[in-house]
Amino acid sequence: MTDGRKSKTSRIRKARPLSPKKLSATEPSASPGAREDETPSGGGANQAFVDPFQRLIEEKGTRTELRTREFYLRGTNIRAVLLFLNELADSKMINEHVLKPLLINFRLSDEADGANMPSNLLDIIKDRFLTVNDVIKVAVSDVSSHIFHGNAALWIEGADEVLVINTKNKKSRKFAEPLTEALVRGPRLGFNESLQDNLAILRQQVANPNLSVITKHVGQRTKKELAIVYFAGIVNEDLLQEVERRIDNMIELDDIPESGYIEQLIEENHMTLFPQLQSTERPDRIVAALLEGRVVILLDGTPFALIAPVTFAMLLQSPEDYYERWIPGSLIRLLRYFAAFLTIFLPSIYIAFVSFHQGLIPTTLAISIAATREGVPFPSIIESFVMEIAIEILREAGLRLPKPVGQTVGLVGGLVIGEAAVQAGIVSPIMVIVVSLTAISSFVIPQYAGGISMRVLRFGAMICAGVLGLFGVIFYFLILSIHLVKLKSFGVPYVSPAAPIYLSDWKDFVLRLPQKMMTRRPKMLFTQDEIRLRSPTKRK
Amino acid sequence: MLTNLQDRITSTQTTVLVSSFILGLGILTLPRAVTDETGTPDGWISVILGGLVAMLAGSLLAKFSQCFPGKTFYQYSQDIAGKWIGNIICLYGVGYFTLLASFEVRAMAEVTDFFLLPATPKEVTMGMLLLASAYLVVGGLNAVARLYEGFLPITVILFFLVLFMGFKEFDVDHLRPVLSKGWLPVLQGVKTTSLSYLGLETMLFLPAFMDKPRDSVKAVVVGIGISMFFYVLTVIIVIGVLTVDDVVTLTFPTIDLARSVELEGVFFERYESFLLAVWILQIFTTLSLCHYFAGLGLRHVFANENWFRPFVYGLLPVIYGLGWVPTTINDMFAVGDLLGYLLLGLIVVIPLLLLIIAKMRGMLHANHS
Repeated sequence: MTDGRKSKTSRIRKARPLSPKKLSATEPSASPGAREDETPSGGGANQAFVDPFQRLIEEKGTRTELRTREFYLRGTNIRAVLLFLNELADSKMINEHVLKPLLINFRLSDEADGANMPSNLLDIIKDRFLTVNDVIKVAVSDVSSHIFHGNAALWIEGADEVLVINTKNKKSRKFAEPLTEALVRGPRLGFNESLQDNLAILRQQVANPNLSVITKHVGQRTKKELAIVYFAGIVNEDLLQEVERRIDNMIELDDIPESGYIEQLIEENHMTLFPQLQSTERPDRIVAALLEGRVVILLDGTPFALIAPVTFAMLLQSPEDYYERWIPGSLIRLLRYFAAFLTIFLPSIYIAFVSFHQGLIPTTLAISIAATREGVPFPSIIESFVMEIAIEILREAGLRLPKPVGQTVGLVGGLVIGEAAVQAGIVSPIMVIVVSLTAISSFVIPQYAGGISMRVLRFGAMICAGVLGLFGVIFYFLILSIHLVKLKSFGVPYVSPAAPIYLSDWKDFVLRLPQKMMTRRPKMLFTQDEIRLRSPTKRK
Repeated sequence: MLTNLQDRITSTQTTVLVSSFILGLGILTLPRAVTDETGTPDGWISVILGGLVAMLAGSLLAKFSQCFPGKTFYQYSQDIAGKWIGNIICLYGVGYFTLLASFEVRAMAEVTDFFLLPATPKEVTMGMLLLASAYLVVGGLNAVARLYEGFLPITVILFFLVLFMGFKEFDVDHLRPVLSKGWLPVLQGVKTTSLSYLGLETMLFLPAFMDKPRDSVKAVVVGIGISMFFYVLTVIIVIGVLTVDDVVTLTFPTIDLARSVELEGVFFERYESFLLAVWILQIFTTLSLCHYFAGLGLRHVFANENWFRPFVYGLLPVIYGLGWVPTTINDMFAVGDLLGYLLLGLIVVIPLLLLIIAKMRGMLHANHS
């Protein structure tokens, strides 16, 4: 197809009969497209012949890269037309595995010729000649959906069905290290944008037939491929059905460009800051989730897969917790919980103590805070709001800029503006410490979506603290707890195993106990097979 | 789907609900209340005895509820006593829980006003806590139970942190001599302490929601046991640190205990803020469960399943208004005493009445076995 573009218009025209003699004489080495142009027009001898692709070509042909290739099966007068999309179909594959067998090796076992064509000719071609793994028979009317995925369609004269041959040649990026979930220790592999590639990685890592995939097409106009992956024999069937039902009942958008769309369309509560599905580009995380009995949704065109259901604890987990030994793993996890708490509540607690309850902090500290705040013209709530918003602006600016520039922004913003603001007496140095500690704490949260929600929650806590002091902070904590308790992700309470309590799941909650002790899958998921770890003697 | 769609609670959740309901104002006031009665440092014995009485009463109530499986107090009182008398009984329950809710929220406002926010109007703190309660209660009993489950570990950790800080100034001599005036003062104290286990009346309702109602006796005994443990520890440490003579003069001796503790060199020198934080959460647990039961009762009286939400919201101004009926803090404690008598009506008089009616109408035989 190298010269496809040049000969486009000429090949689009239909029904240019070739004499079988001529065809068998041509060499396969020449590209089919080029050869077709060289062949002299057969005049109007076979004008009655109309192939079923004609209408499609007439509708779309001039504005797409649709190509047809007409030929006769070797040694017969049976005409065949191959239809494919130039950019997507793999021309090498079409040449080698479709045209070559049919033009050079084709031979009917009995003395069939064009006159008495066997009725099951399509099956014979499919079963004996096409050296392609995936060939299906479809009705002519369904062809277009397959063609535009990169498949080739083969029509044989007289047949009322069409063979769709898998000649997809998808372009995809190389696998790279996952950027959003960096680890010190652990696999460096991250998903790419191709669903096939991503499924291949999963298959490669889980060599088990129970790893099951349900494929669907989403997006009314783009028909993107979506895969629901689960581990049969472990997953809770109700959960699986619920995921499937929600995806089937999704609103039909024109396009689903990213898995974030799916997340928003199938979550149960839209009025919450907390993600109800976890997005990840790490295959190891997906595999772990599958083996815990969760359901994974992969979408073609994005490296981010979705895990359902998700709990609050998962926002603060990193695969590294399991790769490192359990003591550092547990300690780091505790640190993250602490950091999450600081992210939400540190500025508000500072505000509460400084503006309302100076008596509750040690006298010397109170005095030193008061000294640094001397000359600051704003109440601490305004002061902290200004600083927190400034740091959010800095963060956003650094995020969207090219990497080297982004770092400069961080440096300029963080050091220069912070220092200058303190010098100018607009904010107190302690406020700068509080704000930067909060910002750094928020970076500790391993999930970006989780980090965002906590950053936003911080502002609510600050308002409550500014109005009602410590009572406001407690009130905010209360409201937040109620919200979290009422929240569910695919029917699983969001803050389980804390509420409702599943004591056995606490082995992998705020602490990460030794692998030996985690003998069961999470109880909250009600898996089919609860036992995860069997003792070596029982294995035989 | 994964969780039960119906509003069911587990045995653990029942235990937590009972103990969270009980723990409330008592944590702050019990040391004074009991020492007032006994006049000796033996209050903790009264607390234990009171707890045992409460366990007995709670188990009886649980047994009583088991006679009517799957039905709450509101439902079976209507079944037994007929629609009209049943409705009156229901309204008594609703009134009791509404009054209790208003008492708790007022007490919270008083304490917050006194220790945290002297300049902020109490109306604001009361209103906000009530709104939070409505937000929780409309989520159903299961959400309530899950919240309490989450709060219990926080309460335990912070509460023990504060109490054990007091150990530095703890003096066993303050608790001696044991039984110096014999058992009589101790028994007098039991009257007060057993009422501080206000909360066992939840056993009239909770078994109907349990997935395993057979465990209800165990649940209530363990639940009361947990709160008893908290109470005994509080009384022992507060009296051990502050002495009998001081405790009787203080309104909220436990807070004063936390205030008296100072740890040098740590970031915070005073820990009453932790205690208050935990205590507000515990007050909230009592408040919201009362709120829930009151809303549930109204739903039964008006026999409309869909009206739960409007009733929950409608109760807000009622609870708020009742909270303002007592003018002074002493009036407020008088309401607390009144609630004790109302409780006796709810857990002794009405169940006995219902039992008698049920016996007369021969309704118990079907369920007894």
